[in-house]
Amino acid sequence: MTNITQEQIMDVIRKANIVKDTDALESDKSLTDQGIDSLDFSSLLFNIEEVFGVEIPDEDIDELLTIDQIQSYVNAKINKN
Amino acid sequence: MIAISEIGIYIPDTRVSNLELLEKFETDESFVREKIGVVQRARKQPNEKASDLCFKAFENLKEKTSFDHEEIECCIVITQNPDMSIPHTSAIVHGALGLSESCACFDISLGCSGYVYGLSIINAFMLANGMTKGLLFTADPYSDIIDENDKNTALIFGDAATVTLLDESKSGLVPLGFDFGSKGAGYKNLMKTDKLFMNGRAVFNFTAATVPVSINKVLNKLNLAESEINRWYLHQGSKYIVDTITARAGLEPDKVVFDMYEYGNTISSSIPILLSKDLDDFQAGDKIGLSGFGVGLSWASAIFEKNNLG
Repeated sequence: MTNITQEQIMDVIRKANIVKDTDALESDKSLTDQGIDSLDFSSLLFNIEEVFGVEIPDEDIDELLTIDQIQSYVNAKINKN
Repeated sequence: MIAISEIGIYIPDTRVSNLELLEKFETDESFVREKIGVVQRARKQPNEKASDLCFKAFENLKEKTSFDHEEIECCIVITQNPDMSIPHTSAIVHGALGLSESCACFDISLGCSGYVYGLSIINAFMLANGMTKGLLFTADPYSDIIDENDKNTALIFGDAATVTLLDESKSGLVPLGFDFGSKGAGYKNLMKTDKLFMNGRAVFNFTAATVPVSINKVLNKLNLAESEINRWYLHQGSKYIVDTITARAGLEPDKVVFDMYEYGNTISSSIPILLSKDLDDFQAGDKIGLSGFGVGLSWASAIFEKNNLG
């Protein structure tokens, strides 16, 4: 069983270059409320898909509001495959 | 050798401000300026058709260079918003300009990749048929198909037209190589039924994944390094997408031209509008990169060089 860590998710956010201070992000708060707009969010999901080899359908996006939720989602996807 | 000799453009004077739509679309000025990169959009008159825009671009071309209409041997229009479905818009343009009866006319149905495809097509067509002077028009008036209440599309597109004169110029831009591709399975992400529909996330994913690869493919094909390219002219989809491609393709940001703030994404006209501003500045031996991408989903990249035949 693979487990993607929160730090790995943070690394992807850094790579996506969508926020000035990645370390200041709170994992249980909405990314939108922390200043990440719709374009940045699309870029983040694209990088998540690319790095972890998962597909995130549009219908799942509404449940991916926080870093914690993204981490859980990616782990569930990877371990399902 | 067939070269890009001159480019005429037409951008309507009328503008629609995105800054007046911030409240309607619950967005802010920095998003409009820094992410979309469009402050205002050029808007044609409601009764103007693609051929009218082409005609005005041609008038601009004639102000820049002189030639006899009789010399034009082919006239190609790139549009997916033709005046009407029958006949082809290039025939209407041909009639309006009074071109010779021996001039070949046809349209190319492509969107934002159209100009780069068109350059390859007209180059091959002219060479195959011994032609020495041809016109390549772009005109896709999206204001006719935009849903003004759709945030995904209402803040982006502007109207414009261009015409590129191709001839045996000794000081023009000549093609060194191209890369083309399509992902037809994704066509539903950018299409018109009643109005234009765009799945922004899917189009972003397509572009971010595909276009940087295409750019590097054409460089590799020609055995060129990015450092050997003087300037890059990417389709002006949005500032965000141009910045994304720049980073992912490993392009030097200072060499990537961006300018759509005052008129918007003009589809197949975006690259020739940018090129027209720089055409006189290139020195012999300069190399430039072009890449168009969008509807289809489709893409085309190319490298051109300023020739130095005397």
